[in-house]
Amino acid sequence: MFDLLPHILNGLTLGLLFALIALGFMLIVGLMEQINLAHGSLFALGAYFAMQLMGSRPPFPADMAKAWLALPLGWRYAATLILAPAAVGIVGIAIEFCMRPTYGKDPLYGLLLTFGAAMVIEETIRLTWGTRDYVLQVPQAVSGGFLFQDLIWSTYRFYAAGIAVAIIGLVWLLIEKTSFGATVKAGAHDSEIVRALGINLTRLRLLVFVFGTMLAAIAGIIVAPIWGIRPHMGVDAVIPAFLVIVLGGVGSFWGAVMAGLLVGLSVGLTGAYASEWSLLSMYVLLVGVVTFRARGLWGKKSVLEA
Amino acid sequence: MTATPSNQSDSVRLMTPAMLVLWLALATVPLWIARVGLYPYLGIEILIWSLYALAFNLVLGTAGLPSFGHGAYFGIGAYAFGLCQFNVVANLWVCLMAAFVVAGLAGALVALFISHRRGIYYAFMTIAFGQIFWTLSIKSHKITGGEDGLLKIARLPANFGLASFDLADNVAFYYFVLFVFALAVMALWRLVHSPYGRVIAAIKQSETRAAHLGYHVWLYKASIFTLSAAISGFAGGLFAMAQLAAFPDVMSLHQSGYIVMMTLVGGGLVSFWGPVVGVFLFLIARDVIGALTNAWMLYFGLLFIAIVLFRPEGIAGAIGALFEKHSAIRRQGNSAMRLLFGGGRWR
Repeated sequence: MFDLLPHILNGLTLGLLFALIALGFMLIVGLMEQINLAHGSLFALGAYFAMQLMGSRPPFPADMAKAWLALPLGWRYAATLILAPAAVGIVGIAIEFCMRPTYGKDPLYGLLLTFGAAMVIEETIRLTWGTRDYVLQVPQAVSGGFLFQDLIWSTYRFYAAGIAVAIIGLVWLLIEKTSFGATVKAGAHDSEIVRALGINLTRLRLLVFVFGTMLAAIAGIIVAPIWGIRPHMGVDAVIPAFLVIVLGGVGSFWGAVMAGLLVGLSVGLTGAYASEWSLLSMYVLLVGVVTFRARGLWGKKSVLEA
Repeated sequence: MTATPSNQSDSVRLMTPAMLVLWLALATVPLWIARVGLYPYLGIEILIWSLYALAFNLVLGTAGLPSFGHGAYFGIGAYAFGLCQFNVVANLWVCLMAAFVVAGLAGALVALFISHRRGIYYAFMTIAFGQIFWTLSIKSHKITGGEDGLLKIARLPANFGLASFDLADNVAFYYFVLFVFALAVMALWRLVHSPYGRVIAAIKQSETRAAHLGYHVWLYKASIFTLSAAISGFAGGLFAMAQLAAFPDVMSLHQSGYIVMMTLVGGGLVSFWGPVVGVFLFLIARDVIGALTNAWMLYFGLLFIAIVLFRPEGIAGAIGALFEKHSAIRRQGNSAMRLLFGGGRWR
């Protein structure tokens, strides 16, 4: 039994990362009933932006770059965690503007539009940075490893899991405990009434979408040191994110978090015994659940199942 | 998507004038394709992918079911063709039949799990099964050759009893594929205009309503998915012959996404011929833009966004709308272009 502990811990940290990756996707699905297939590309874009900011040639004018590079690594990392998602947020604004004509239509159109956006972003990444792999520098404090029970553990994995818990908690507070969250949820539930109450729904949707894309970028920055940075990372992220939402059920916050943990555990444990098949396990898990449960584990009624 | 009266006389025919025009036009392709800077193999590819897209559109356009993992059945057909050739018997008809049957069985198995689901859950189940089949094809080195693919598949001679044709040459193979394509299109045309096809279209509009009218919705959904998978597999068998190999690549999520894109860009949701238009555009754009720049996916992605934004009914839909403006022609219903793009088939 004790041999299993490292695998379970590994699976749980992986699961928290999956939940973090799915968070922005879930917000947009749950609050706007739109499937953002560009989520993975925005996730990748966040990682690339962060890599550029943390690298030796930051995208600033010469004297500013000098001042930036003189800052300690920790400060730069903290600033990157804000700057890179903000830059991705601008891309998010552009996508949301394009998506406006698809609101109220078959959700298929929003899905296709974002599929096109994903293609464009991924191809742009390939053209700008090439197909090689990059590494994201992280501050000394969170890199390296430590010894526990005669095993070496990666510090970064626990740091990343901790950040994931914190962000999941913050997003939950924002949706469930603030008036902003209440308005947004009401807007998803009955847009006509919300509009009649004098709330600017257009701006609200824009905010939700941009917030979702920024969460994608943050997830990208947090996950990049573990998975590496390459053009394909977007697809590697959007599929588990989509899977986590479907498994947890559309419209359920804790469903998505639990599904993320379940997927992480199944991938981690399968990886321990049959590493070749580890990614297959999450699909088998999904098929097993959705065959018997119409709306995933804790899903609510949604236009996306029409 | 306005409601237009469907062309009754056309829908009961086995072969429409539009088909005849298309076959004749396609039959001349090998005569000039090299002169415009393309090559005969592209013609083969377009025909095979068109058949695949038409089969796929049975599920997406006719039944309105979002299937995003269809590449799996195309790939399974390709492997089945190769494995039948190596292990069972090297006969063209038997091997093509094997591609059809094995892909159909895979489709039937998946249909068992998904036919009681709808919307996003249906869509993701098809993705999950697509990924499962794709992973299996990559990991089963002994059977499929893994990522290297199943190589040395031969183009078996087409034996018609009286005469046998060697298909090794691209032009001969093109005519063989065109012959098969023509037969398959006639069958598909009949299918979507049959009472069975009408029920499928009714299910697309409202599952609940169709169920209340007494139709067994589950059975219809499962059968159309199985049939679509089988025909996709048949196209996959032809593709294995064209490539002389079968690779796991066509089963990947990207490739499954491309077939959705081709079908929708062309206008599969509103027209029978939409998927064919989309395949033509996609493959020719790949070669023409691809020759000019490495970033052809970037431009195709932008084109795709523009189509979703401004012409969500696709190219065939746009052309159909253009011709509907000439209402006099519409009432007579004899415009060659309108026939070609089957404007207003059911919506």
